[in-house]
Amino acid sequence: MANPYQILGVTREATQAEIRKAYLRLAKKHHPDLHPGDKDAEARFKDVAAANDIVGDETKRARFDRGEIDASGAERTQRTARESYRHYAEAEPGFKYSQFRGGTGDSPDDLFSSIFGARGARGPVRGSDVGYTLFVEFIEAINGTKKRVVMADGNALDISIPAGLRDGQTLRLRGKGLEGHAEGPPGDALVEVHVRTHPSLHRNGDDIRSILAVTPGEAMAGAKVSVETVSGQVSLTVPKGSNSGRVLRLRGKGAPSTGGKGDHLIELQVVLPAHPDDEFVRAVTDWEAKHPYDPRKQREARA
Amino acid sequence: MMGEQELVDSIDALNTEVLRHWVGLGWVLPARAGDRTAFDRSDVARVQLICELHLDLRIEESSMPVVLSLLDQLYSTRRSLRGLVSAIEAQPREVRDRIADLIAGRT
Repeated sequence: MANPYQILGVTREATQAEIRKAYLRLAKKHHPDLHPGDKDAEARFKDVAAANDIVGDETKRARFDRGEIDASGAERTQRTARESYRHYAEAEPGFKYSQFRGGTGDSPDDLFSSIFGARGARGPVRGSDVGYTLFVEFIEAINGTKKRVVMADGNALDISIPAGLRDGQTLRLRGKGLEGHAEGPPGDALVEVHVRTHPSLHRNGDDIRSILAVTPGEAMAGAKVSVETVSGQVSLTVPKGSNSGRVLRLRGKGAPSTGGKGDHLIELQVVLPAHPDDEFVRAVTDWEAKHPYDPRKQREARA
Repeated sequence: MMGEQELVDSIDALNTEVLRHWVGLGWVLPARAGDRTAFDRSDVARVQLICELHLDLRIEESSMPVVLSLLDQLYSTRRSLRGLVSAIEAQPREVRDRIADLIAGRT
């Protein structure tokens, strides 16, 4: 990479103010959004920005002058790989900023429809679809809910989230997109819904899965414990003699499906006290000495 | 998609107050649901652009809407032109030649 002073066209003795001025002048000249499609301008802008990252910063400039960092600025803050705004702005017809602040009357699409419209080749044009993204909580997605979204044009849109909705699903709201041209119908709003993860509940098809921690005593003697489900707290009976890994099924406590509802599967996990004292350790080891068993062998036999 | 905090964290020059100001001015149009704000990839790219034009190159706040609007019009024009070009490309040879002649001012 070339010398940053050369790139900016300043001498090594230039003041910070002079460097700043040179940078602004070049950055304005070569900014990629002012030269769409010009790869050279884009490359020059990157060079100018990289040069400014080094000598525009007094500390880094001193380090560069002392030879501590090279012109590529091994330690400079990373310029995140930037996807140019143009990449999006040119991509889709319904781009939400294409009517930014109303602009001024004639959009190029209007111009074209006036050319082709005059020949009668092109009648009313349907408005563009507009994309939105919405986040819902895990429980809301399972049970369904109503959400209000404020759209790009400032209007509020009420959206019904159907029960059982999956992460990434797109809802189409007819007629809620951009207005049509020449009395064409409006486009649709496409709402992509993302479901936030839940700290303890997970979805597996139409079933919900979770892990329930129990004490050794609860597992061996059986117990009634309160567990969280998508429809609130439910009392669950842990059968006597349940081992770690046992899966209990709460019927119909899963996500809605075509054939009714999935189940909620709860896997038991026996949890020892965090800091077992001597009494606990002695009781267990004494018992094991009298009644030896090999849990590895049991596993193999089961497998 | 990115949350507000995530976006602010990803750009050195940006803070929450400034970002909210831009959203308030309508420069950036993130999706909103309740008190949550979600920025899609185009919003993020636009925020980066605004950082460069406004914070870096010091284009004044009062001039920014004009600049953004012109850029958006330019991009929208380029998109439409590309559509027109591909429509022309789909035409038979003689039609394309005729159009090329007309554009070049030869009759």
